[in-house]
Amino acid sequence: MSIFASTQIILAVMVVTYIITKALKVSTELSMFAAAIAGALAGGAGIPARHIVEGAFTYLDIILIFITATLFMNILKESGGVAYVIRGILRKFHRNKVVLFVLITFLLLIPGALTGAGSVTVLITGSMIAVVLGYMGISKPKTAAIIFILAGLSAAAPPVSLWAMITAAGVNMPYVGFFLPLLIPCLLLSLLTIFILGWSKKPVNLKKALEELPEASPKMNWLRVFLPFLVFLLLVLAGRIWPHSFPVIGLPLMFMAAASVSLLLSPVRLNFLKISRETVHQLLPLIGTLTCVGILVQIMTLTGVRGLIAITIVTLPLIVVLLTLFLVLPVSEAVLMWGAAPVLGVPLVLLFNTIGLNPIIALAGMSVIWPLGDALPPTAIIGRLTHTAVEMREPYSRLLKYCLIPGAIIMIVGTLMVVFSKKLAFLTLL
Amino acid sequence: MSVKWLFIRKGISAISGLILLVFAGVSFYKSRHLKEPVVLSPGVSQVKKLSEYFTGIKGTINDSNVYILEGEKPGGTILLIGGTHPEEPAARLTTWIFTENAVVEQGKLIVINSANRSASTVTRLGGAYPPDFTIPTSWGGQKFRMGDRWSNPLDQWPDPEVYIHYPSRQELAYVDIRNLNRTFPGRPNGTLTEKTCYALTQLIRKEKVDIVIDLHEAELQYPVISTIVAHQNGLDLAALASMIISGTEGFNIGVEYSPPALHGLSHREIGDHTDAISLLLEAPEPFLDATRGRTDRALLLEGKDEFVVKAGRHGLLFEKMDENGWPIDVRIGRHCSTILQIIELWSEEKPDKTVKVREVPRYTDVIEKGTGYFLRNPAKADPKKIYYE
Amino acid sequence: MIITILYYLLTGYIAFLIIWNLLKSKKWQEEILYIIILLPFLLRLFRLK
Repeated sequence: MSIFASTQIILAVMVVTYIITKALKVSTELSMFAAAIAGALAGGAGIPARHIVEGAFTYLDIILIFITATLFMNILKESGGVAYVIRGILRKFHRNKVVLFVLITFLLLIPGALTGAGSVTVLITGSMIAVVLGYMGISKPKTAAIIFILAGLSAAAPPVSLWAMITAAGVNMPYVGFFLPLLIPCLLLSLLTIFILGWSKKPVNLKKALEELPEASPKMNWLRVFLPFLVFLLLVLAGRIWPHSFPVIGLPLMFMAAASVSLLLSPVRLNFLKISRETVHQLLPLIGTLTCVGILVQIMTLTGVRGLIAITIVTLPLIVVLLTLFLVLPVSEAVLMWGAAPVLGVPLVLLFNTIGLNPIIALAGMSVIWPLGDALPPTAIIGRLTHTAVEMREPYSRLLKYCLIPGAIIMIVGTLMVVFSKKLAFLTLL
Repeated sequence: MSVKWLFIRKGISAISGLILLVFAGVSFYKSRHLKEPVVLSPGVSQVKKLSEYFTGIKGTINDSNVYILEGEKPGGTILLIGGTHPEEPAARLTTWIFTENAVVEQGKLIVINSANRSASTVTRLGGAYPPDFTIPTSWGGQKFRMGDRWSNPLDQWPDPEVYIHYPSRQELAYVDIRNLNRTFPGRPNGTLTEKTCYALTQLIRKEKVDIVIDLHEAELQYPVISTIVAHQNGLDLAALASMIISGTEGFNIGVEYSPPALHGLSHREIGDHTDAISLLLEAPEPFLDATRGRTDRALLLEGKDEFVVKAGRHGLLFEKMDENGWPIDVRIGRHCSTILQIIELWSEEKPDKTVKVREVPRYTDVIEKGTGYFLRNPAKADPKKIYYE
Repeated sequence: MIITILYYLLTGYIAFLIIWNLLKSKKWQEEILYIIILLPFLLRLFRLK
């Protein structure tokens, strides 16, 4: 039997196992784990403990970011800070929606742009903005779609775009010249999304909103709310301004520092241990997904299934590659997350470079499309995080429905950036 | 559900987890602590520690061995760096061939087998690398650690959200703060990887090294492959070596100019920050290709993969790939011959800086006899002559 | 160095939270998932990976 045929069989075994376990009402995370074990067995690797555990490590640092950022936000919520901010924003801007939308766009873009992680946007500003949008008369699914799309674009936005950085590193290209090619589409597409999904002439019902919103403690004030954010921002900026005299702190510890400040400044007494336990429980499906995806990818690599998928895609005819980018990139993101950059990004950029396209603009275009995959199964990591953060009761598919129009625009813009990358090369300023 | 049943169920789950934990933990421990013997060649006159050039790394895992081979007559000084990226095994094994065989008649040859020893104690997450591999020898075989591209997080944790290179301030992917070939020239108060680069830079300065050769391997989809990457100060030497090798050694090797805007790499920063000529050699390693099939020891050693062959047929590769693959002997042989040619050409051009090396096999010798032929049996060696990596 | 130690403390704290939640959990799927996600935390704490 050829290696192609035998690897296809392993892939089939993994897919069938996933389908069967899902049909048996097993969770997505455990179904992926089962698919990985079945793949390893079908590939003749037995139950490879080393590879299973090594795969489980893949996203440990991201998991730490998720836990610490959510812990920070939960502390802020419990202390009444979130309610205080939302009441303030609504009082100040309820008459001027345009200004409010632009403000919201920036509030959503900045955390992800600085850290490279859309999850940080969802966790830090997403849940607060969701409530504001809710009182502007925007439904929960629409709100979730706005936050998801902007979180994705914030992750792709400069200065830190991990897809672009990882792919650039893989083809030995300096991460230089990406600022405008990433900033312009991310900013314009964000504004377009929020106005398409959120615009209505209906005025904000301030009275109703203020009645419904929980009252923050009278001792709460702007200083208590913003000091933790300021600590976080200062730590990020210090690392950027003095990278060679300031120690490497890492995002998880920065979030813990912000959480500690928030805890100390809380006007109400908080049970830190209880909030921590609930945070871990709240994030279990996401952490579980990340861990199980890591295991799945490791087993796919071990058995050659990852290579089979990669080789099948990159050897399609060029026109098909270009026309299916909008599909292939989000799907690869949905399965591999940032792992999609080395697996598909690298060969695709090399392919584009070979045929004379501008690799920087093409990669920027791809980086804008990639985050859309974070709403798709099996992982749907940012999509599900948004679903939770927004406290959406409607089914997840409603979020996806509202993502369709802005998603399609993003796909078209990204693909056009790849196709016309040579003409857009001036944006690199190189 | 009864409490008893809940207890039993949790117990079974916990025991299953514990079994996974123990098996994986033992495997990780074994590969991190696998000792790789180096039986010193009669030509090795001293074995120093990297910390002798910069005390800041003393006691760390990256305080690597520095093998010094000196000739009787004075001459130039050449530094070979292996293990910059320990996931590129032919680079490390080439240094073994030198430290176990080379004899220097004139000048000085300095060899480092594990420049980033930390990275040699861990395998890439998601990469499904085997923990080790064995090179067959007439006395059985010698086992080596398979490593990673990045330092082990057990030795350097956490990473920043973005890595800003010193001194250029170029922004790079966060993981590259643990990539030895992105942290040159290094800094004394930096991370372990940056300190290691600083120690290497200090070694180059203190030993007045004339040429630094950093050994690597690359995936075939990577445009910089089967080549000598040269800083502008070594471009003529590299071009001449490429011409002669392609004409006489039985394989082709190209020349690439080190891009001035790409920071942190040895071929750029060593040339910019020291007086040495800096060159980097790349050999083809299909094991690293993103389109590779089954990831196992066979692929690592034989370099045969049908998926990568298919990528080649579609024009996606920058090096030929057929059913013969790229066996490790071929990759090591390429490195050996390229190093020898560079040294010979340099010595012809600068007679007062001559470095004369013998007993090192060339490309055809390594392919004919196999790498294992040039590894020495530690069981039969004088224990004083054995060092461990 | 101090920062690295803080990371180990954070890892230990999260491992403790996972174990606590695992003990309190009543759903079998949740239990298995807690055990899977616990593995990297423990191996990092034991300095094995």
